Amino acid sequence: MSDLLPTNEYRDLFDNAPCGYLTMGPDGRITKVNATLTAWTGVHADGFIGRRLHQFLNMAGRIYYETHIAPLLRMQGFFNEFALDFETAAGERLPVIANASERRDADGSLLLTAVVVIKATDRRRYERELVESRLQLQKGLATERETAELRDQFIAVLGHDLRNPLAAISAGARILQRSGALQEHKHLRVLDMINTTVTRMSDLIDDVLDFARGRLGSGIVLNRDATQPLEPILEQVVDELRTSSPERMIETSFDIAEPVNCDRARLGQLLSNLVGNALTHGAPDRPVRVGAETEGGELRLWVANAGEPIPASAMERLFEPFFRGDVRDSRQGLGLGLHIASQIAQAHGGRIDVTSTAEETRFVFKMPLATAAS
Amino acid sequence: MIFAHGFGCDQNMWRFVAPEFEDDFKVVLFDHVGAGGSDLSAYDKSKYSSLHGYADDLVEIGRDLNLEDAVFVGHSVSAMIGLLASLKAPGLFGRMVLVGPSPRYIDDGEYVGGFTEKQIAELLEFLEDNHMGWSAAMAPSIMGNPDRPELGEELTNSFCRTDPEIAKAFARVTFTSDNRNDLSKVTIPTLILQCSEDIIASETVGKFVRSQIPGSEIVFLEATGHCPNLSAPAEVVSAIRAYV
Repeated sequence: MSDLLPTNEYRDLFDNAPCGYLTMGPDGRITKVNATLTAWTGVHADGFIGRRLHQFLNMAGRIYYETHIAPLLRMQGFFNEFALDFETAAGERLPVIANASERRDADGSLLLTAVVVIKATDRRRYERELVESRLQLQKGLATERETAELRDQFIAVLGHDLRNPLAAISAGARILQRSGALQEHKHLRVLDMINTTVTRMSDLIDDVLDFARGRLGSGIVLNRDATQPLEPILEQVVDELRTSSPERMIETSFDIAEPVNCDRARLGQLLSNLVGNALTHGAPDRPVRVGAETEGGELRLWVANAGEPIPASAMERLFEPFFRGDVRDSRQGLGLGLHIASQIAQAHGGRIDVTSTAEETRFVFKMPLATAAS
Repeated sequence: MIFAHGFGCDQNMWRFVAPEFEDDFKVVLFDHVGAGGSDLSAYDKSKYSSLHGYADDLVEIGRDLNLEDAVFVGHSVSAMIGLLASLKAPGLFGRMVLVGPSPRYIDDGEYVGGFTEKQIAELLEFLEDNHMGWSAAMAPSIMGNPDRPELGEELTNSFCRTDPEIAKAFARVTFTSDNRNDLSKVTIPTLILQCSEDIIASETVGKFVRSQIPGSEIVFLEATGHCPNLSAPAEVVSAIRAYV
């Protein structure tokens, strides 16, 4: 190209191009630089010629140039889109994006390397802000996770520690009952109330602990036994609920003909939660119906109630923890009952399905009769 | 004869040097874990939080290949990695060639490493600005198949492309390392190849290494910059050949 003198037009295109432009000889020393780059950097052309590109970069850029850019240029003959920071004569940072390519002769000897730089102050700032915001998000997420874990641990510890004072209250009530010291009807009613409340509170604590365990990863641990009958447990659960809600009707039809490989206490808890839910939300003047049967290798356990159907908007979130529908009854719990029931169902390799119409709302739990240990 | 690459790129750094020795030596090339075609799943943050993790790998490679009295050629930070490996496994290397070595990059009192702590911190930040076309989605195809030509355009920059997190960690380990106390423990013949105008490992640092490693020799190359293995391979080859 040396014997082709550039026309003034080309000279102008080179010098006043909207990008910085420089060339380096085979020894890596700068041979030409255009007016745009000298204007951007405030370094006169004489200040460039004979020196090396990295001398015009900040220290980080110099290290990067030596360890990445120069080797890459030599190995692949070009580089594209490198972010670099020039240092201007005034000591300011000039963020740029740079491309470069080598030109070699027929024998493969390096003739020159052409470098183009484009001012990228805004673009680089934008990218840096993206990186920063990602870092902040990651930090925030880590903190949130830590907090959530602490909260779950706190719930677990709290639930556990609430049991002892409750046991003391329960024991105290029992002693009073046995001593026969209370005779008046009014006092005996207070004693009954204490007992009911203790049971209720104990159930709430169990729910909280089950929830915390599920969240903390250990999940619901099953103690399966297929040899013992399931029906008596289910009857017992329904009886307890009849006692605590004497004004309500609960009809049962159990037909469990085959052994069920399950944790009976847990299925009792599942049923209790489903019936409790039906009593809370069902029409008070209509019976809650409960049924269980084994058929086609499956256990089907269902609870149905009449009353207002579950709104479509609530349907999706029904099994989420702390989800409570319309609170009509002061007895309503933490909103963990259905969540825990579904966890128990899942632990048994089963599931709970819901259908809700104007006639009936029905929860159906299905699980395989003989599952291997989960 | 085993060649180890430094911070930045991969074993391709030796592409103009290593083949010259293939007639006379069994030549071993490798990528440090985290670089080039290495298995990224083998990258263990805590293991590679010091140069010893890399040195242990080098010893493992040597043991696996039953290397004895091998010639070790290490560039940049791998000079110190090789030096540590030679102390861990006596007999593994018979000779060492250290290209652009530096036992410590950050100035410390009288010692001039060439950089301040602030500059190294800036470098770590700066690494964020250049991903070399790295993207997590592309990584598996690139990293696992560095030699597959059909990947065409995606191969751009691949010689020096690394997971940005790993690049940052390697930079931190490299530029905050201090192996000055290990130099005097070296007992095998050692050659230092010192470039001119090397801003990463200056002549002062090269001379310091020479003065601390007992019986070591130093050759001053005419090559400039930090990577004579690429910029002046012939000079590097002849210097190594004269020594081994």
